[in-house]
Amino acid sequence: MTTFSLFSFLLTLAVALWGSNVLALSDYHEQLFLQPLPQSSLLASFNFRGNTSQQSFDNQHFRYFPRALGQILQHAHTKELHLRFSTGRWDAESWGSRPWNGSKEGGTGVELWAWINAADDEEAFARWITLTQSLSGLFCASLNFVDSTRTTRPVVSFEPTGDHSKTDGLHLLHGILPGEVVCTENLTPFLKLLPCKGKAGISSLFDGHKLFDAAWQSMSVDMRPVCPPGGECLVQIEQTVDMVLDIERSKRPRANPIPRPVPNEQLVCDTSKQYNSEDTCYPLEKMTETGWSLTEVFGRSLQGVCPLAETDSEQSVCLRVPHERSVFTSEGASEIKQDDGYTRCFKLDPEQPFDLAVHEQQMNTKVPLEEPILHAERTIVGHGQERGGMRIIFGNPSETTAVDFIYFESLPWFLRPYIHTLQATITGRNGVRQEIPASDLVTETFFRPAIDRERGSQLELALSVPAASTVTLTYDFEKAILRYTEYPPDANRGFNVAPAVIRILNSPDSSPVYIRSTSLLLPLPTPDFSMPYNVIILTSTVIALGFGTVFNLLVRRIVSVDEAAALGAHTLKGRILSKLVMLRDILRPKATKVE
Amino acid sequence: MAVDRRKVAIFSAAFVLRLVLVCLFPSLPDLLTGRVEVSTPVNSFKRLQEGLFLYTRNVSPYDGGVFHQVGESHAMQLRGFSINSIVQQAPLLLPLFALLPDVKSNPLPSAIFYFIVDLVNAHALANISASGQSVQSRLHSAIRKHIRWDGGSVAAWFLFNPFTIATCLARSTSVFTTTAILFAVSNAVSGNSINAMLALGLASYLSLYPALLFVPVVLLCYDQRAPKLPKIAAFIIQNASILLGSVAGLLGLSYLITGNFWEFMSATYGFHLLVPDLTPNVGLWWYFFIEMFDSFREFFLGVFWLHLASYVGGLTARLHRQPLFVITSLLGVFALFKPYPSISDASLYFAFLPLYRHTFPFMRYTFFAIAAILYASLLGPAFYHLWIYAGSGNANFFYAITLVWSLGLSILLADSIFAVLRDEWEQDHPEARGSEVKQV
Repeated sequence: MTTFSLFSFLLTLAVALWGSNVLALSDYHEQLFLQPLPQSSLLASFNFRGNTSQQSFDNQHFRYFPRALGQILQHAHTKELHLRFSTGRWDAESWGSRPWNGSKEGGTGVELWAWINAADDEEAFARWITLTQSLSGLFCASLNFVDSTRTTRPVVSFEPTGDHSKTDGLHLLHGILPGEVVCTENLTPFLKLLPCKGKAGISSLFDGHKLFDAAWQSMSVDMRPVCPPGGECLVQIEQTVDMVLDIERSKRPRANPIPRPVPNEQLVCDTSKQYNSEDTCYPLEKMTETGWSLTEVFGRSLQGVCPLAETDSEQSVCLRVPHERSVFTSEGASEIKQDDGYTRCFKLDPEQPFDLAVHEQQMNTKVPLEEPILHAERTIVGHGQERGGMRIIFGNPSETTAVDFIYFESLPWFLRPYIHTLQATITGRNGVRQEIPASDLVTETFFRPAIDRERGSQLELALSVPAASTVTLTYDFEKAILRYTEYPPDANRGFNVAPAVIRILNSPDSSPVYIRSTSLLLPLPTPDFSMPYNVIILTSTVIALGFGTVFNLLVRRIVSVDEAAALGAHTLKGRILSKLVMLRDILRPKATKVE
Repeated sequence: MAVDRRKVAIFSAAFVLRLVLVCLFPSLPDLLTGRVEVSTPVNSFKRLQEGLFLYTRNVSPYDGGVFHQVGESHAMQLRGFSINSIVQQAPLLLPLFALLPDVKSNPLPSAIFYFIVDLVNAHALANISASGQSVQSRLHSAIRKHIRWDGGSVAAWFLFNPFTIATCLARSTSVFTTTAILFAVSNAVSGNSINAMLALGLASYLSLYPALLFVPVVLLCYDQRAPKLPKIAAFIIQNASILLGSVAGLLGLSYLITGNFWEFMSATYGFHLLVPDLTPNVGLWWYFFIEMFDSFREFFLGVFWLHLASYVGGLTARLHRQPLFVITSLLGVFALFKPYPSISDASLYFAFLPLYRHTFPFMRYTFFAIAAILYASLLGPAFYHLWIYAGSGNANFFYAITLVWSLGLSILLADSIFAVLRDEWEQDHPEARGSEVKQV
């Protein structure tokens, strides 16, 4: 199936637009891309890009580059920055390959990596901590929890995307917070970085209630230096928001969000079922494409065009549906259909709000989806809280080409992997499982073992999965038991393990392709949290008992029982006792005499 | 000649028993390796395997960060160093095990290596027993000399102890510490102080705590060579320097292997001293330090180590006439109170106890102690299962069992000390033989 893929299109569009304006001293672009996906979902991909010249950046003359971020980057000597906020899961089985080929996507939670200019590792780490602390304040995220245990230094998984004059002083640091819940408090600072701050242009569509209700969403901030050949160097900031909305869910009115059953008269029943009757219905799948409009899905309409964006040549909203589909827009907007048969873009009236609506329609053609280059999933296997295993499954859907990629994972220190147990099985299309030595597939290994409470382990494998086969990698690990103060309040929920990052090396158009697995939940053995005093008392008692008995035996003299009685008579205690006995003897005989 | 034949029979029976167990139940060694009662972080065979894997693949001739790729073969680049928080065993074990064939594909050679180490241990134990030091030494001569087990029986008691067998099958590295301690003692009873100190240096190098045995081992050597050596102070200094020299030599060798002195020092001895890994074991430290308040952690670490060291002085001063018994009791103390004890430490203590067969009649609480130990050994695995796998119990179940185990061992320890003191008293007071005694 030869398809002009949506994402290659997205990229070429972006590159073409960038190319036409690259020589401008400073510019700003924004674009919204919409595509309905199977199962009544809608992909909305927002892209904002601002440039400023390196010189004005150094002189702190900010126009399209946000001052708040720029000053942080200068203070932390950061030359290139990538920050991601993600929730949900991209369903590659039904939605195909990822927007931007996964290069604008992060693992669940918050992910940050940056190239920092520093003389040595220690200075780089100090600057990294400065950076994370500052970004934590700027984005209202717990980035300040990216400490040495969550920081890794990947060797082959990431390459700088910017043009750096000299790379020797640059240190790549990578941190990830898989447990971070991304929410509206992260969106507000994100919008404030934009020149139009969500008041005009496509960013006026952002509503936290809708954005974070999405099945999958990813926000990214990328900063990098760009040096066009022959031109002046620029500092570029690119912000994207990608989300997959469930159309039915998003269309529910805010005042009445409870889903209700479809009324009987609107149900389409399968009348061929024998049990079909007045009150029994087997509902049929809808054969039509769902209708939606921007106001319904986003809860608000698009407020014209951001006046700072260079709009003369730009069509800032694009929609990818077959050309046969009828699309209605508000007045003042003009539609331009592309030759590929699927894409159309809209030129908006800067003064008027814009809305776009498609109605429920029976379709003959479908927008082709691109098959992902590699399927990957990662799970924890085994039972019990003592040890377990990691199982990573890579599926290569291609019938002809092998996939070469880097598999990178950073594990928390309390998960102790045993790399010597790394095993591989390979399953062909015929379903025959075959165990092979891991070294047949793994061409290179970069492994940095963990140190308790100091750093996590970091594993990078360069792998190759042959065509039309599925490879399963497994290794054992052990779960550490922590000090009771190191457990979170919800200790029995488990600990988040960061998603693995896969970087595909032999992608068709040699652009970076990334895939991220989901994050994992690792249950650890727990002590009894109510026991500290009891344990201190009980253990101390047993130790005191041992110590007491042994030293009691060692310091005291052994004598025979007769001797003991004689010895006892001389001591003060003995004398008091003998007096007491005398006293009793004086009293007792009288009593007996009376009887 | 008859005795020798019996010993050979015992040794071969022990060897065959282990071999049969491994061949009949091929999964048994791995099962035992995973048991917390047998494998602690400092002696786990699985961790050693991981260290070995990293060690053998540390192929880069360059330092640290430079990457070295070897064509199609599997190049492993280690950033940092192979000794890390997984591997706490002494570095010298790594090249030793690198000589053995791969355990995953061929488990038998390493298993047989461990069997042989066990037999060597039993042989050393038989030598100690044969020397008669436990009943007759320079300053002490037991009255009931005739009640004693010969070397063969002592070795059999060690070899057929289920704890020893479990340790051997689990391929725990504490077996080597046991060997070094037994060699130090068996050389000391024959007066060979240099060999004893070298062996003790190896034991201390492997596990740190055997260094506490220095004083009683020197006394034991001195007892053998006393007529020729009038000055005890000079003798102690001389031996201390041999011990320090041997430890320094081993550390130097490790430095040559690993290339980074402080990293392996902190990963091995720092690990023993500071107890960062709180994986459950049969001892008293792990749960205490899980539950300890952060601000008191260092204080109690100090207290626990001081407590462990305090027995050396007390026992040596009181029982200086029987340094072999001081060693025995200290091994019991270690099995009880060291940071990462396992049943292999208990098995070493149980191996030394039969040397004092003549004092058994004086023991008062044998039934209680043995019952508590058996109860803990049977219920421990069950309660651990309830906590970790079934989820129907919590950590307190296993903790309670470790308390019972420690209680049983401490009663046995105290009782054996009482019996020996009583025996010493009878030697001093032959007229009061068999009479009731009291301590004042």
